[in-house]
Amino acid sequence: MDPATLGMLLFIISEIMVFGAFFTAYFFIRVVGGAEWPAEGDHLPKLIAGFNTAILVSSSFTLHYAQEAIRKDNRLGLQLGMVATFLLGLTFLFIQINEYVHIGFSPQDHAQGTIFYGLTGLHGAHVSIGLMLLAFVTIRSFRGHYSSGHHLGFEVPGIYWHFVDVMWIVVYLTVYII
Amino acid sequence: MTARLRAPGLPRAGFFLVLGTLFCAAIIIAAREAYGFPVFADGGITTKAQNAILLLSLLIAPLWFLIGLGAFDYWFYWAAGKKERAEDHSGHGATSWTDYFRVNTDHKVIGIQYVVTSFFFMMIGGLLAMLVRAELAAPGSQFVDANAFNGLFSVHASLMIFLFIIPVFAGLANYVLPLMIGAPDMAFPRLNALSFWMLPIAGIMMTASFVAPGGSFSTGWTAYAPLSTSAPLGQMFFTIGVQFAGVSSIATALNFLVTIITMRAPGMSFWRMPLLVWANFSTSLLVVIATPFVAASQFFVLFDYALGFNFFRPEKDGDVLMYQHVFWFYSHPAVYIMMLPGFGIISEILSVKSRKPIFGYRMMAFSLLAIVLLGFTVWAHHMFVSGMQDWIRIPMMVTTAIIAVPTGIKIFSWLATLWKGVLHLDTPMLWALGFLTMFTLGGISGVILAMVPMDIYVSDTYFIVAHIHYVLYGGSLFTIYAGVYYWFPKMTGRMFDERLGKAHFWLTFVSFNATFGPMHLVGVKGMPRRVADYAEEFAAWNLFISLSSFVLGLSTLIFLYNMVSSWRGGPRASANPWRAFTLEWQVSSPPPIFNFDRIPTVVGGPYEYGVPGHVHGIMEPAEEARPKQAAGASSAEEGV
Repeated sequence: MDPATLGMLLFIISEIMVFGAFFTAYFFIRVVGGAEWPAEGDHLPKLIAGFNTAILVSSSFTLHYAQEAIRKDNRLGLQLGMVATFLLGLTFLFIQINEYVHIGFSPQDHAQGTIFYGLTGLHGAHVSIGLMLLAFVTIRSFRGHYSSGHHLGFEVPGIYWHFVDVMWIVVYLTVYII
Repeated sequence: MTARLRAPGLPRAGFFLVLGTLFCAAIIIAAREAYGFPVFADGGITTKAQNAILLLSLLIAPLWFLIGLGAFDYWFYWAAGKKERAEDHSGHGATSWTDYFRVNTDHKVIGIQYVVTSFFFMMIGGLLAMLVRAELAAPGSQFVDANAFNGLFSVHASLMIFLFIIPVFAGLANYVLPLMIGAPDMAFPRLNALSFWMLPIAGIMMTASFVAPGGSFSTGWTAYAPLSTSAPLGQMFFTIGVQFAGVSSIATALNFLVTIITMRAPGMSFWRMPLLVWANFSTSLLVVIATPFVAASQFFVLFDYALGFNFFRPEKDGDVLMYQHVFWFYSHPAVYIMMLPGFGIISEILSVKSRKPIFGYRMMAFSLLAIVLLGFTVWAHHMFVSGMQDWIRIPMMVTTAIIAVPTGIKIFSWLATLWKGVLHLDTPMLWALGFLTMFTLGGISGVILAMVPMDIYVSDTYFIVAHIHYVLYGGSLFTIYAGVYYWFPKMTGRMFDERLGKAHFWLTFVSFNATFGPMHLVGVKGMPRRVADYAEEFAAWNLFISLSSFVLGLSTLIFLYNMVSSWRGGPRASANPWRAFTLEWQVSSPPPIFNFDRIPTVVGGPYEYGVPGHVHGIMEPAEEARPKQAAGASSAEEGV
């Protein structure tokens, strides 16, 4: 295995453990402490968040399309796929921020709010990092980098983006659905 | 002057640090104005705004410093999508001492940067310990009040753990590990340089907490919530400092893992790796998996402290005990992070210095991995008196006792390695033997502490202090000394003074036991730790302990003098003064700038001392080495 991919996979193990620590906090507050979920009088927008989940998951598919395109030296496909992925990610982030504005409780109100903002915010931070990496890849794809035999600098940020997607599904299921 | 401020380096870093602080001040002032909080009062900035600026600067300004230093230059270049340029290796290697004060991508330079920096912070931490002992020399208050005393031992512990023991092992391994596996450098040299430069940031931050408003952080190195979430601002110097030390440590561990997995020389199979490499492989696994938990625990504290979150506020359904679970899920594996690399060093030295193959090589490697696995199952033995659910106690007691099995395998394998060997009792070997005895004592008191009733009885007494110093001083620090003496000729190209080295060992060994041995006794009698005052009945022992500890502190000066004077004017060292097999000794001292002029080929195990005709590595590429390989390899196989 080449060093960059291996490094990224190990880094993802570390990232999973960061999420693991936040899920531990969630577990202690909700299960061990037995706090009501969501807190009394609060409402979690399951449907909008579900729609948002679909947006983020579809960005993984557009990313995959872009990766398949460059394997066949299809530069236009790469550029289209990258722009679509980037915009989908940005939309996800925008809807998430919009949700924060309208959700009606804050992290200062109660521990449930703290861990809600903690987990979704941690994930949002990861989306932002992922978007930054995708932006670099998009810039480079328009500047003529990458080819069918040379696209490692694209594969590695791609692994990270898929991780961010999968992590969101876990966050969505535990925070909104269960 | 402007040219120096534009080129990467310390001047630009300082300039950017100022810019970064101003940037943080601007953000805070703008945000507070926008939300209508008071900013300016009586011709100055309000205390709350000042504290907010300081807090944000702690988080953000170090990043500006790193950018100024040039740690991110290449990545910015990459991100902007410029044409790829070939690496010219201008950031590699050192020709003068100034090369140690810039972003350097040579693993040998970074290794020395790590070791020297961590010993610098060890000196500061040691001075703080001297102050602690001076205060404790007699009952009552001598020269600091109770809160300042709490600050002294808190900063002492934090520096020793996060800025000395963890990074100094990373430094030694940084230097020797790529050489040992026959690699030209680490897998990610720029990441390696970045990891190093986060370390002084963390160290200066923790040390600087003494000038923070309200005094330094005084919650111990464990920083339990809610004590830490309601402490003065100095607490944040710990909370944020740990983040930098943690990121540095994770990045280095990633680097080690990738280097070990992908960059071994031809023929260097996993079962031919020296045990130091195995030890760092295991340690890095621990770091990658466990360290994110301490980062998260400190994020929780930061959020509760600075933004009013409710992770640890019971009145808002938060859970105080959760802090201890998350913290110890890192910090128990962390004691193995602080010990396993030392095990590797000891395996190298005992085998070379007794001229015998290491006993049970594969069991030595497997026991390391067993410690990694078991290390994650014992964290709650730090919490027997915390008020957690009772049923967790017995399982944690059992797993803790089980950990003594792989550790015992290592101790007995080392003893079997020594058995009927030709022992060379020089300085590195003395430290290794000192480690064997002292660490065994610390390990035994560890098993005693694992037993729930005993633990409840001696919780928060000096028995705990004695235990941790027997494993971290008599264990880890002795291996560090052993490793520094052992590889000193390789790192500097000079020999150290053997007489001073032995004097250092014996003085340290005796005064170490005189300092920490009696702590077991006063601990069992009930003297509480982390308290500035104590009952009259402990006065005699404490005076003795304090006097011994000053001798222990002075013995470190012998080491310092030996290192500095030998580096400047010691006799030249040969390439292989210890007649060792491992690859780092097959190149010149110090090694060439890219380690190996030609890629070496490994044909046998690393420890077959006393086996006639044994060869571990051949300094030639595989194709050319093949004809000669036949003779060497066959005898190696017989040796195994």
